[in-house]
Amino acid sequence: MEFGPGIWGPIVATVVMLLGVAIAYLLLLASRKYITPKPSLEKLRTYACGEVLKPDEVHVDSEQFYSPIRRVFRPFYRYVQPRHTGILTTYLLWVVVGFIIILIAIMVALR
Amino acid sequence: MIPHAPILTIVLPIFAAFLTPVVGIVAKRFGVERARDWFVVGVAILMFIIVASMVPAVWGGEVLVYKLGGWSPPWGIVLAVDGLNLLVALIIAGVVSLVAIYSVVYMERDSGLEKYYTLLMLVTAGSMGVTLTGDIFNLYVFFEIMSISSYALVAFRRNWDSVEAGVKYLVIGSLGTSLLLLSIVFLYGLIGSLNIADLAWKLGEIKATQSLPMIVPLMLALLVTGFGIKIAMVPLHAWLPDAYQAAPSAVSALLSGATTTVGIYAMLRVSYLLFGALAIGMMFIVLGLITMVAGGLMALVQRDLKRLLAYSCISQMGYILLGVGFGSSASGSAQVMGIQGGLFHLLNNAIYKVLLFMCAGAIVYRVGTSNLDELGGLGKNMPITATLFVVGALAISGIPPLNGFASKWTIYVAGMEAGQPICTAIAVVMSALTLAYFLKAINLMFLGQRPEHLREVKEAPPLMLFPMLMLAAFCVVFGILPGLGIDLVRPAQSAVMNQLGYIGSVMGAG
Repeated sequence: MEFGPGIWGPIVATVVMLLGVAIAYLLLLASRKYITPKPSLEKLRTYACGEVLKPDEVHVDSEQFYSPIRRVFRPFYRYVQPRHTGILTTYLLWVVVGFIIILIAIMVALR
Repeated sequence: MIPHAPILTIVLPIFAAFLTPVVGIVAKRFGVERARDWFVVGVAILMFIIVASMVPAVWGGEVLVYKLGGWSPPWGIVLAVDGLNLLVALIIAGVVSLVAIYSVVYMERDSGLEKYYTLLMLVTAGSMGVTLTGDIFNLYVFFEIMSISSYALVAFRRNWDSVEAGVKYLVIGSLGTSLLLLSIVFLYGLIGSLNIADLAWKLGEIKATQSLPMIVPLMLALLVTGFGIKIAMVPLHAWLPDAYQAAPSAVSALLSGATTTVGIYAMLRVSYLLFGALAIGMMFIVLGLITMVAGGLMALVQRDLKRLLAYSCISQMGYILLGVGFGSSASGSAQVMGIQGGLFHLLNNAIYKVLLFMCAGAIVYRVGTSNLDELGGLGKNMPITATLFVVGALAISGIPPLNGFASKWTIYVAGMEAGQPICTAIAVVMSALTLAYFLKAINLMFLGQRPEHLREVKEAPPLMLFPMLMLAAFCVVFGILPGLGIDLVRPAQSAVMNQLGYIGSVMGAG
């Protein structure tokens, strides 16, 4: 059941993955025999320097979730992202610019 | 095959569109308002059966040519069904059927549903018309029907955001269709015909006997830009995030699964058939890469789930263009694999993107918001929706053994065989980035601590879960049995590469 020139066998891979999950789950169950988890309210609470936070406040900021990746692609986020202003005339200008780029690319390709 | 199947596929949703308000009035009088919704579901399923009835003949190598009014091509309008447009028609009919079932419950809190279902059927009729017609002016007319109905559907809820998004989509979309019309005018002026096969034949004769007229690159650029707006190719993508965010999730699912597929089809059909795509393969690769990278990076920083899905939709369009570009710029097995990979990804994208938008709709239906910062811990309340979202997210990220892996793998192999290792590496990195932003969404919605106000949230209703379950099942089946998916797209790939067969069949019908 392989496809393409590679060595990927989807059914074998799926069976191996499911086996891996089963083994991991069995290991987890076995470990509980020796170390029983005893969650207490204190253990489950998020530490915030002594501040007591409500569940609503313990939430990662969705925009900053991957701030290291944002730093890697800094030029994109500094110059391209802010251009998505929602202003229609700007977007129409993009269409014109896009059309000119496509026209030039086609003229070069068909030359 | 069901007699007159090609024309029935278009006429059925048009009649259903105008019958829906009447059915709605009658159903209201008898106190069974949902009869209107089920009428539309029935029409969509019937349409799927009609399209499926053409499969044996077309997959047997036949091009079905249906002459409207008995007029022969190139004088009369014909519908021509080959492997490529049959695949697209199957996707449209399947997506519309599932969206119609989903809408029965999802849209129940809205008013004016006669208009909603009428517009849904008009989008379907327009999409089917664009897909099956063999006449380029007819294609433009159906493209307008599809587009105008889409603008209205985006603005359906008539709040500030949806009207603004609808107007933006209307203005940018109208510019796109104007460019298409302009290109068709130039084509008619140069060739004197509107039949696509006839145009391709005569353009080929011109290319063989004389130097290419200066107007040809302009015509192709106008067409690529016009269709590029519909598929939200960067930098023509600006309308899409606003539209998908503001539209009801059922509409976002329909647009992402059906109309963008139609846009890709139209671009492929026209660029390959009329202009010979070998020359523009590299352009597809470059535009595909830009679209993939920009869409992915924008998705990474979104606060709203539907906006994140919208940017991810743009990114996936990049993969499709990249696959087709690899295929177009190479020869031999790389050409076959590139086009197969692009078309397989088109099919898979329709499956998991519709699934993801439906999951987003289920959350909006129960919680009332798609703002990621206001969600959390919903895995406990909505375990089935959470599981289905994870399946869709892993599939779109190309994680084995799901369907997205199978099509992305095919595209990567085509890229390596086409001698484009850097472009392939960028595609692999973007796949990892896709996983990153979907893990963020999963974490913020379903894991972590549940805010107090979400304690009583219930699982989505069964009628909404049913289409989502079916789509998730397809994600798994096409991943574990990728040969099935490849077999499904192989006739389409053969049709893309055998343009002379299409031209011969259509013109031979004269």
